[in-house]
Amino acid sequence: MMKKVTFLTGYYGSGKTEVAINLAIQKKIDTIVDLDVINPYFRTREMEAVLKENDIETISSEMESKMHLDMPYISKKIYNPLYNEKTKVIYDLGGNDQGAKLMRQFDDYKDIDYDLLVVVNVFRPETDHEDEIMKLINRIEGMSGFKVTGLINNSNLLKDTSLEDIMQGQRIVEKVSKKMNLPIHYTSYWNEINDTGFNVSNEILKLKLYFRKNWF
Amino acid sequence: MAKVLMKGNEAIALAAIKGGVDAFYGYPITPQNEVPEYLSKHLLANGKVFLQSESEVSAINMVYGAAGAGARVMTSSSSPGIALKQEGISYIAAAELPCLIVSVMRGGPGLGGIQPSQADYYQATRGGGNGDYSLIVYAPETIQEMVDTIKESFDIADYYRNPVMVLVDGLIGQMMESVDFDKPVKERFLPEKDWATTGTANHPGRRNVANSLEIDPVALEQKNIRLQEKYKLIKKNETRYEMVNFEEEPEYVIVAYGTMARICRSAIEMLAKDGINVGMIRPISILPFPDEAFDEIPKKAKGILCAELSMGQMLDDVLISNNGRHKVGFFGRSGGMVPDPEEIVDAIKNFSERVVK
Repeated sequence: MMKKVTFLTGYYGSGKTEVAINLAIQKKIDTIVDLDVINPYFRTREMEAVLKENDIETISSEMESKMHLDMPYISKKIYNPLYNEKTKVIYDLGGNDQGAKLMRQFDDYKDIDYDLLVVVNVFRPETDHEDEIMKLINRIEGMSGFKVTGLINNSNLLKDTSLEDIMQGQRIVEKVSKKMNLPIHYTSYWNEINDTGFNVSNEILKLKLYFRKNWF
Repeated sequence: MAKVLMKGNEAIALAAIKGGVDAFYGYPITPQNEVPEYLSKHLLANGKVFLQSESEVSAINMVYGAAGAGARVMTSSSSPGIALKQEGISYIAAAELPCLIVSVMRGGPGLGGIQPSQADYYQATRGGGNGDYSLIVYAPETIQEMVDTIKESFDIADYYRNPVMVLVDGLIGQMMESVDFDKPVKERFLPEKDWATTGTANHPGRRNVANSLEIDPVALEQKNIRLQEKYKLIKKNETRYEMVNFEEEPEYVIVAYGTMARICRSAIEMLAKDGINVGMIRPISILPFPDEAFDEIPKKAKGILCAELSMGQMLDDVLISNNGRHKVGFFGRSGGMVPDPEEIVDAIKNFSERVVK
């Protein structure tokens, strides 16, 4: 069961945006807020049409030609979902503690029903070990002022991913889970991977890769 | 180090470190900013030089100076930033100094936009700098190929004492792919840099000078003749290309590089399902351009389609290499627009509408 507010954070390039879009569509979220002020390409706002087809509202920058601007403008509308009791919302943050810095503006909303989930891909060189992941979680908590409440194992080598790769990530994320007493909310992977017989003790989230075309 | 998942720009930076880079000088510009960002962290941590200069012009002149002192040195930028570096690039080529220049293209002209483009083919191969100089320019198609090329490019630059450019578009800079950084690099015999401006200890009484000024016209012409001989040698030894789907005689041949070649690969598969056999010449070095590849196009082929993320620049080299043998058509998108493979399929099926010469 998704909480009213889900903040998605993680190391730069861990797959937050693909996870955010898939979660929003599969879990019938009302609104997705693109708070990525770090990436110039592959941002949630590029998927606005797909999300709209699924009755999901996208909030991003209000600037003209927002799609391709590399300036960190954020719409004041990002607070709206917090004032509507029925709205379920995902905030898709930019990578690393720098991306999580944007959560400081929610300082007055700390009593809200929220999850702050850290997306982990152990094949990203700077989060390939539990110690590095725990350091990142500490930095995210310090920078955002919010407690991290859970983990998502999104370990992958994109289209080269094997089930053993996912399990390699699962073992590392489980160590973090144990040491920091944080639940693993999802293990996520590409929906075209043959996962016959694959099982983990937490929920599995199969990802449609919205940004990947057949030629990359 | 096993396979890791890297963003193109980070991979450029790590490949440069693996290739032994001593110093990086640059100035930020989207969509290549992850290159200096990554290097600022990892070069300084390893006792190397990272410097964000006050402009692109000073960055390229710092490269000139450090290359003259014998260091393995690089800069990176994107389209308008590379434009600013042209004077320095000509000077470095004239002084015959080795360096790596990474260019991550975005939409132009002018400031343009930040989305991917291949509209700097002229800039890379014809140069905006003055004089009869030539770079060595590689235009890889995947992050793996880019990593392997960058690692090797420092050796190539040292071997020929010539600047090497690695040219990709913003998509390759921004996309993620799994990559192996430990593939071995071809071994080359690299002589000592006895020309470097490192003092006179090894050659008392003789100063080394890095300079591009040559006032005497006789000497300057001799230098130009010598440079041309070097470029001929580079063309003979370092031209790289891939022939795709030439096992059976192709009906049409596509010429494409970088991101466009990836799109065309998908298009070729789709066309095969429709019973149309299409091959592709994929230049990996765009300077020197692989004109010998065009000799392998079957006489019966119905035409050559040059496909670019620009309004038609490599098209010149395709026309020169084709030398009137086949009909040449063109397909291009620009401004940051990236086509789907279906558009290439359509261009082949309606080739007659695409013919330019």
